[in-house]
Amino acid sequence: MITFENVTKIYPPNIKALNNLSLFIGPGEFVSIVGQSGTGKTTMVKALIGEERISQGKIILGDWDITHIKQREIPYLRRQIGVVFQDFKLLPKKTLFENVSFAMQVCGHVPSQIKAIVPQVFKLVGLEHKMHRYPSEVSGGEQQRVVIARSLVHRPKILLADEPTGNLDSINAADIISLLERINRLGTTIILVTHNKEVVNSLRRRVITIDGGRVISDQKKGKYLL
Amino acid sequence: MVILSFIRIVKFAFQDFFRNFWLSLITITILILSLFSINFLIIVGVVSQAAIASVESKIDLSLYLATDANEEDIGVLKNELTLLPEVTGVEYISKAQALEAFQFKHKDDSEIIESLRELGNNPLNPSLVVSARKLPDYEKVIASLDNLSKNNIIESRDFDDHKSLLTSMQNITYKAQQVAILISIIFGAITILVVFNAIRIAIYTHQKEIRIMKLVGASNWFIRAPFLAEAILYAFGGVLGIILIFYPFVHLLQPYLGAFFEAGNLQLVGYFQDNFIKIFGIQFLIAAIINIVASLLAVGKYLKV
Repeated sequence: MITFENVTKIYPPNIKALNNLSLFIGPGEFVSIVGQSGTGKTTMVKALIGEERISQGKIILGDWDITHIKQREIPYLRRQIGVVFQDFKLLPKKTLFENVSFAMQVCGHVPSQIKAIVPQVFKLVGLEHKMHRYPSEVSGGEQQRVVIARSLVHRPKILLADEPTGNLDSINAADIISLLERINRLGTTIILVTHNKEVVNSLRRRVITIDGGRVISDQKKGKYLL
Repeated sequence: MVILSFIRIVKFAFQDFFRNFWLSLITITILILSLFSINFLIIVGVVSQAAIASVESKIDLSLYLATDANEEDIGVLKNELTLLPEVTGVEYISKAQALEAFQFKHKDDSEIIESLRELGNNPLNPSLVVSARKLPDYEKVIASLDNLSKNNIIESRDFDDHKSLLTSMQNITYKAQQVAILISIIFGAITILVVFNAIRIAIYTHQKEIRIMKLVGASNWFIRAPFLAEAILYAFGGVLGIILIFYPFVHLLQPYLGAFFEAGNLQLVGYFQDNFIKIFGIQFLIAAIINIVASLLAVGKYLKV
C-alpha cells in the first residue's frame, strides 16, 4: 500500500532528515511511527502528502509513484489521504459542518451528497449535536474529532495522524486513539506519528522506530523503545 | 460542475466578506480614501479648465475704425467679420456710445471730464469688438483682416496688448497641465501602493486558512477564486462608497466655487453626471485590476504548501 524505497531527504546546506529510509505499510494496518523530535517523522509525513520533495529514493502509494508528483496532481493525492495534525487546522470562520463539507466541496461533490455524508461522519466522531457551532465554541478534543471527521469524508484508504494527541489531555487523547482504532476496524489504514509513550504502548500494534532519518526497529506488536 | 463551482466560489467570497466584516470595512475605507483623492484631482482639473475658459471669454479683439468711416462700410466690415468661422460675435460701438462709456468710466476723474469739454468735439473712434471661439482663433482672425474688402477703415487694433497676456496664459496653462499630470502620476502610484498593500494585509490574515484549504485537497484555483471575487467586491464597495460620499460633497462645494465663475461656467455636479460611466466605470475597472493583481500575488505566496 505505502512503500518508502531508500528515501533520503537533504535540507540545505547538508542536513539529512531522512537517510536511506525504507519501509512498507500494508492495507488495513495500524502503524505507529515513533521517534524523538528531529528524527524525520514529520518529513516523512510531508513527503507522503506532497508537501516536501525527496532528494533520493522512491515513494509509492498503491500503484501510484508519487516521487516526482506534479504540482497540479497534489490536490488529488491529498483527497486520497486523510490528514490529522496536532494543531487541529480548522477554518475559524466556518462552522464545524462547513469545515467538513468544505473538504467535499473542493472535490466538486453535489449538495445532496454533502448533506448525506457529513452528518454520518459527525455521528461517527460523536459530534452530530454540535456541527453548527464554530471551532472556537468547542473543546480541543472536539476540534480534533472534527478534523478526523473532515479527513474521513473522502473515504480515504489511509489516515495519517501526525501527533493528533499532542495538544490534548490524557482523557481526550484516549478518546481520539479509540476513535482511530474504530476507523481502522472499518478498513482504513492508520499511520499514527507520535512520541507519546503511553499511547503507543496501550495500542499493542505495529511500531516503527525512526532515529537519524532511518528505521532502527520495526515490531509487529511493539512498544515504545526510546 | 462548473456552475456548481462558480456558485460555491461566489458564496465563499460573500461569506468571507461578511464574516471578516471589520477587515472588509477597513479595506474598503482605504479604497474610498484613495478614490476620494483621485476624484478631488478631477475636480481641480475641471475647476482650472473652467477658470481658463472664464478668462478666455473676457478676452476680445477691438478694431478701432476711422472717425470718418461711413455707416455702410462699417456694416459691410461687420458682416464680413461675422462670416469668419472663428468668430462668435461682433459688436459695433459707435462714436457716441464710445464717448458715453468713456465718460461713465471716468465720471469721478474731473480732469479728464474737463479736458473732454475743452476739446469741444468727440475725439473717440467707433469700433468693432470681435469675439472668437478660442484663444488661438484671434491670431487667425487678425490674419484674415487683410482679405476683407473694407479693411481700409480699420485704424488700429488693441489685440497686441492681449497677445502677450494670452501667450503667458497659454504657457501657464501648459505648465499647469504638466504639473497636474505629474501630480496625478505620483498620486496614482501612491494609491496603487496603498490599495495593493491593504489587499495583501487582508490576505495575510488568511494565510493559515489557505494552508488548510491546500491540505484538504483544494486546487489552487478553487482557493484563489473566492479571493478574486472578494477583490472585485472590495472594488465595487469602494466605488459605491465614493459615489455615495462624493455627490453630497460636490453639491456642497458647487455654490462656493460657482461664486468665482459666471453662472453656467462651472457645473461640477453636471460634469460628474455627464461623465458618470467614464469616471466611476474606469475607477471600478482600475481598482478591480489592482485588487485582483494584489490578491493573485498575495495568495500565490501562501499556495506553495
